[in-house]
Amino acid sequence: MSKINNIKLENFTSFAELDQTFSTGVNVIIGTNGTGKTHLLKVIYASCAITIGEDKEKSFAHKLRNVFNPYEGRIGRLSRRQKASVRTRVIISREGNARLSAEFSNHTNKPDDVKVTGETSWKKDTLASAYIPVKEMLAHAPGFLATSAKREIAFEEVYADIIKRAFLPKLMGPIDRDRQRLLTALQKALDGKVVAKGEHFFLKNKQGDLEFTLLAEGMRKLALIWLLIQNGTLLGGAILFWDEPEANLNPALMGEVVEVILELQRLGVQIFLTTHNYVLLKEFDLRQQRGDKIQYLSLSRKASEAVTAKASDSYLGVDPNAIAETFSNLYDREIKRSLGVNEG
Amino acid sequence: MTVLVEDDLQLTLPSDWKGYKFDNESSHGLSHCMKAVDFIIETEDKFYFVEFKDPDNPKSTSESRKEFIEKLQSNTIDHDLKTKYRDSLLYELAEGRAKKPIYYLVLIGLISLSETDLMIRTESLMKQLPVGGPRGQKWKAPLFEGCVVMNVATWNKHMLKMPVTVSAT
Repeated sequence: MSKINNIKLENFTSFAELDQTFSTGVNVIIGTNGTGKTHLLKVIYASCAITIGEDKEKSFAHKLRNVFNPYEGRIGRLSRRQKASVRTRVIISREGNARLSAEFSNHTNKPDDVKVTGETSWKKDTLASAYIPVKEMLAHAPGFLATSAKREIAFEEVYADIIKRAFLPKLMGPIDRDRQRLLTALQKALDGKVVAKGEHFFLKNKQGDLEFTLLAEGMRKLALIWLLIQNGTLLGGAILFWDEPEANLNPALMGEVVEVILELQRLGVQIFLTTHNYVLLKEFDLRQQRGDKIQYLSLSRKASEAVTAKASDSYLGVDPNAIAETFSNLYDREIKRSLGVNEG
Repeated sequence: MTVLVEDDLQLTLPSDWKGYKFDNESSHGLSHCMKAVDFIIETEDKFYFVEFKDPDNPKSTSESRKEFIEKLQSNTIDHDLKTKYRDSLLYELAEGRAKKPIYYLVLIGLISLSETDLMIRTESLMKQLPVGGPRGQKWKAPLFEGCVVMNVATWNKHMLKMPVTVSAT
């Protein structure tokens, strides 16, 4: 197991040129809508997914297509939209000098026509990973995998993938102390354990079994993390991709989620997450301990120009900080309203 | 031109505004029973009641700084600020001077406060003061128009006519 340490993108979706190094700990990606935060998560996830399990049979280009699910499955639609023809390149590097790259143009239709290099040696070493999409999926698990396998629904593959990972059986053998502590903390927040009966998930506690469709969405997220830790998907060396952990989560639970993410990082899990949420961001800032590795990556773009990225090791260095700017703007308007006029 | 000073903070007023130190034992004279805001400033059409809280002041001890932060976190600061405003207002009403709309400006000299924190402090203070009059009507006499909690940077961004400077000493 090794960590992802760099990505280079040329003319990929909203990126004209990106050359970005990552933290081996937590990577927090922020930016307004349409700056490519989720795209970044998905492209890296695709490279991890093909190293393990049934996806090992798939090429990087196939997985890329499936997680993005472009119109008519045409991979060329992932090229940056320009008037002229463009060449698109994706190069992902991990520790130990392994490199995986894909090259195609906006005219490329089939994944088989994508020029992929480095795939054989890339797949020699597994990269366990999980991608948690914004929409919660466990409550919709019954029947989803079968329908999705028949390609009857137009869901990106990340949705089926996370359900499959949640269904993995409990890891056998003793659970080490750190993982047990994390599981206990989550159980406390959840007030129960998660059990699966067939394709249905339940929260089990003293009051009995509560089906997931009746459970608050925020709680389902914590339940999913609990499952992934319990079944060994999230062990040291694994990579977690989490798109907007704050979605449907009560802000009061945000601190616990951030604490779980930081704990996973301390156990050696590399994390990529996107957020629009001030509370989440500030929780990272306030809960960071000495030795915690957090990198903030701010994506921004002016008008229809390409997206630019700026990395920072500290919360205060995040620039531009789209989230704090929103608050700053609210505060300015609050002052103006409170004072009647601007004294200037 | 009037310059009002509180510890290491200086507030410079434009020449056509009047302002004085209100929280001053010799001129106030009732500090045994009434609290007071630091300054009262009068412009052409309004009053500003101004309170400076400066835990970053070099003279403040680490103990007083700690005490301030505890007050800030426990929201007891709002109680202090509210009492200062009310007592100052009562004093000015009784003296027959409060005849224009009154705005309450609080400056907290803590660099570490973000604009989000300042907005939360502003809202929290506003809840302690009577914004608007009874039954959604305006008061017949000026009582309270609005309040803002600022730090030095946001003060200087919004209060362009009366900038605050921090002395180097």
